[in-house]
Amino acid sequence: MPFAINQSPTVFRGFANCAARRNGVKVAQASLLLSIVTLLVGCAGAKVAVPTQFPVPLVEKVPLPIGLYLDEALLAYTHRESLEKRGDWEIELGSAQPSMFANLLDGMFVGHRLVKQVAARHRDVAGVLAPSIEEVQFATPEQSRSDYYEVWLRYRFKLHDNQGAELGDWELTAYGKAHKQNHAGTGSALQDAAMAACRDAMAFFTQQFATVPAVQAWLAKELGAPA
Amino acid sequence: MKPKQPTMRKGHPASRAAPPQVEFRLRRGDASPTHQPSNPALSALALLLAVCTLLGGCVTATVQEIRETDTAMAGGDAIVVLGRRSQPTTDETELDFITCVGDSMSRGAEGINVIDEQQFIDAVFPWFEPRIAPVNSADLPEIIKQPPLAARLERMRLKYLVWIEGSTERTDSSGSLTCAVTPGGGGCFGFLSWENDSSYEASVWDIDTGTNAGKISSEATGMSYMPAVIVPIPIIARVRSSACTSLANQLKSFISPS
Repeated sequence: MPFAINQSPTVFRGFANCAARRNGVKVAQASLLLSIVTLLVGCAGAKVAVPTQFPVPLVEKVPLPIGLYLDEALLAYTHRESLEKRGDWEIELGSAQPSMFANLLDGMFVGHRLVKQVAARHRDVAGVLAPSIEEVQFATPEQSRSDYYEVWLRYRFKLHDNQGAELGDWELTAYGKAHKQNHAGTGSALQDAAMAACRDAMAFFTQQFATVPAVQAWLAKELGAPA
Repeated sequence: MKPKQPTMRKGHPASRAAPPQVEFRLRRGDASPTHQPSNPALSALALLLAVCTLLGGCVTATVQEIRETDTAMAGGDAIVVLGRRSQPTTDETELDFITCVGDSMSRGAEGINVIDEQQFIDAVFPWFEPRIAPVNSADLPEIIKQPPLAARLERMRLKYLVWIEGSTERTDSSGSLTCAVTPGGGGCFGFLSWENDSSYEASVWDIDTGTNAGKISSEATGMSYMPAVIVPIPIIARVRSSACTSLANQLKSFISPS
């Protein structure tokens, strides 16, 4: 009896039943190997790093210089998650943060520079912004029963004056997705979704910044305008 | 414009996940025997397969146009073709379809100057990110009056924005195909057929007036077949390609009527 493959219009479902021993065993071995490889690929997870190329926002600049404090935890931030039967997943976000915030502040302020300490005097800037990542989540199409890889990022921003005093803090939740049909592999799609989430965080920051009460009070004090 | 916080998902979707299945997706040529044709009959079949692969199934395409204002392009003017990507997870137009429409419109003797979608989105960041992008033409004036954006659009000489929505989906499939491998050889027998439907709509926004200049819809339907007597012979209906070509041609004549 020959090895048979029954095929529906879209899917092969293979099984082997071999009577012709020598060839049959080879075919069965090949099928087993293929099944194992497919299972391993299906369970492999992904390890991605967010690219470091970001656009510069095209917005009206705040006429103040600002300092940026990026702590070690942010610069080394990697989200790791093990999913049952779906392997280990890793999204490395830390290495993208310097260029992401440099471009963001480049577009939003007349000047910016990195500072090494947040609670210190910085006479050449009007304030210091200190971002941190509080939470990262992701979903694969298999989990969400959709066609999308999705990534959520929750940032917390703290604003300090140029004497090191904390003026206030606020959170920002960003979201990115990537359609699986536009990508050849899991890694590429997850990376694209993470990148989209970072871009969304930048876009949201440009819109949200001037609406935060602590920022409004700081701008009013520094620019002499009513809060 | 009030910024909205997206909500983080609650609970972990992994708990809803089904166990993985071992599946082998059918692609063109997957079911072909792997050994080389060793006699004239098999050579002839291989040739037949190659010829039939080049054949297409039948595609029916329909294009409709609604014009609201007059349109014209001057030398140096440009347009951009954008895919609609809203933030709540809904159907998204395929990236290669957007590229196909842009490329088709820029080709030929009367080709239009089309700015690459990603280059445009980066150049005007963040105004056309999913969170901020205008949802309808009424939102456009508020966004393009932003001084830095207005200056950039002026420098690009951007005349029209073309938003594309829609997708291609498999709507029907039937038949069965059985393949067998024996010590003496192998082959397939059966018949598969499937239908793909494309439905796309392009909205043309006038940057100068901030109004909707018109809409063009393109629909295409096609049936693909795969008969198999020893060798499967795919006869593929190029539905999406047909929808792209007809939409691009109509957009070209709509934007730049000769």
